[in-house]
Amino acid sequence: MVLEKTVQAFLEDSRNIMNKSAISYLCGARSSAITGARVASPIVAAFALASFGAQAAHAGGVNAGTLIENTATATYEDGDGPQTVDSNTVVVRVDELLDVTVTSLDSGPIGTAPGEAILTYEVTNQGNGPEAYELTANPVVGGNDFDTTVVNIAVDTNGNGTYDPGVDEILTAPETTQVLEADEALTVFVIVTVPDGVTDGQASDVELTAEAVTGTGAPGTVFAGQGVDGGDAIVGTTGAEDSAVGSLIVGITTVDLTKSVVVVDPFGGDNAVPGSVATFTIVATVSGSGSVDDLVVTDAIPDGTTYSAETITLDDGDLTDASGDDAGEGSDADGIAVDLGTVAGGTVHTVTFDVTID
Amino acid sequence: MNTFKKMVAALLVVSGSAFPLTAAAQAQSPVALSGDVMAVETSVDEDGNTSTQLVEPGVIVPGDRLVFGTDYANSGDEPVENFVVTNPLPSAVRLAPDADPELTVSVDAGETWGTLSALSVTNEDGSTRGAVHADVTHVRWTLASIAPGDSGRLEYPAIIR
Repeated sequence: MVLEKTVQAFLEDSRNIMNKSAISYLCGARSSAITGARVASPIVAAFALASFGAQAAHAGGVNAGTLIENTATATYEDGDGPQTVDSNTVVVRVDELLDVTVTSLDSGPIGTAPGEAILTYEVTNQGNGPEAYELTANPVVGGNDFDTTVVNIAVDTNGNGTYDPGVDEILTAPETTQVLEADEALTVFVIVTVPDGVTDGQASDVELTAEAVTGTGAPGTVFAGQGVDGGDAIVGTTGAEDSAVGSLIVGITTVDLTKSVVVVDPFGGDNAVPGSVATFTIVATVSGSGSVDDLVVTDAIPDGTTYSAETITLDDGDLTDASGDDAGEGSDADGIAVDLGTVAGGTVHTVTFDVTID
Repeated sequence: MNTFKKMVAALLVVSGSAFPLTAAAQAQSPVALSGDVMAVETSVDEDGNTSTQLVEPGVIVPGDRLVFGTDYANSGDEPVENFVVTNPLPSAVRLAPDADPELTVSVDAGETWGTLSALSVTNEDGSTRGAVHADVTHVRWTLASIAPGDSGRLEYPAIIR
């Protein structure tokens, strides 16, 4: 508990500021430790009051350590005319509220594969005073299909929201943030390793917890003397700790190509003789929860055959041999190519073309 | 400066309390004001009824309630008249919503006065809106006169911003 009282004495000539003095002293539970009294000049007091005008309003309320000073002034008339008298000034110091929130900055599960994965979180000082937070990343969360291994916790030193190896500071144990001012938010990266052997669609959560260095506990828990300027620190509604979960999902996408051929000879049979037409069919099957980009199906024209011009089809639609006008291009020298672009898992495309046996 | 120190020392010798100085002020003013601040502590009993007590401020944090009080007394032998007590609100607090609606307040640093419902605030874009408790900058009480020997108490509730 901290309660300061200032008593102003008004000497005879109140217009002469040098005659207006103030003494202040501490009273209350800690007063036994105070053996002396402080003598403050009115000028110092004026500065202290002026600084209150710059009060920043934020989520945690007024800053810890702020002095709330209250003085009443009375004016009245008596037999000698108008008079003015001030009350003593009562002073209360705002104590430090310990509150923190952690949120995941990932918009959804991060698609991943065996190897390194990065999860992004934000730690915000919701209290009203400067505080550092100890961070813990827990990769073993109930419901996980697999567990990752935490490699590092890093802070977004350059503030660009993306983990930059070698630039963003990697915290060393015990992983503790720098002191965050009231309302300040810090972006934190958790770098994990996804183990080999995971399969497509498996999910895993990683929980990041931040705990106020001053202490945590049930709301209302007081840490005497550990607040700003020797005031107290008190645990706020968050318990001075919070955690958030970031999610990973394994997206392994595969492409299978299956090629088959049907031969029709000039006599209506299926013998491979000169003049027979062979129709090749290539089925591209894309599997998995993700997608593949720039998927191009190509095939060379086999030796001893000649490409039959303008015979490329994609999913039963005709494509031209010319390049640039559609997804297909073909020639006897270069073979055929069909650009399927980005293909989502679960999709099947069929490409056909004809050759004539020489 | 030496004289000043001696004077302070003398005052401290008299007592460890705040009141010797109040007594000194009374030497030339028949009216004394004595301010105090209490914290409002809310407790819930076994039946779920809430009650509030005024206690010495312990740990106080944003959102807590305080009651600022001023005791006045006329110790002279003549009545004083047009007794007006003005109390600027510390910027770190706002007037509590349950303050007396008849209280005379100012929302413009003491330029204009009235009950809160009669005052308005000009927005940045020039439009106006009704004043709210958080806008209050000053509170004021006016007593027509205080008879010799009379005393009383003025107080307002506030919430730490």
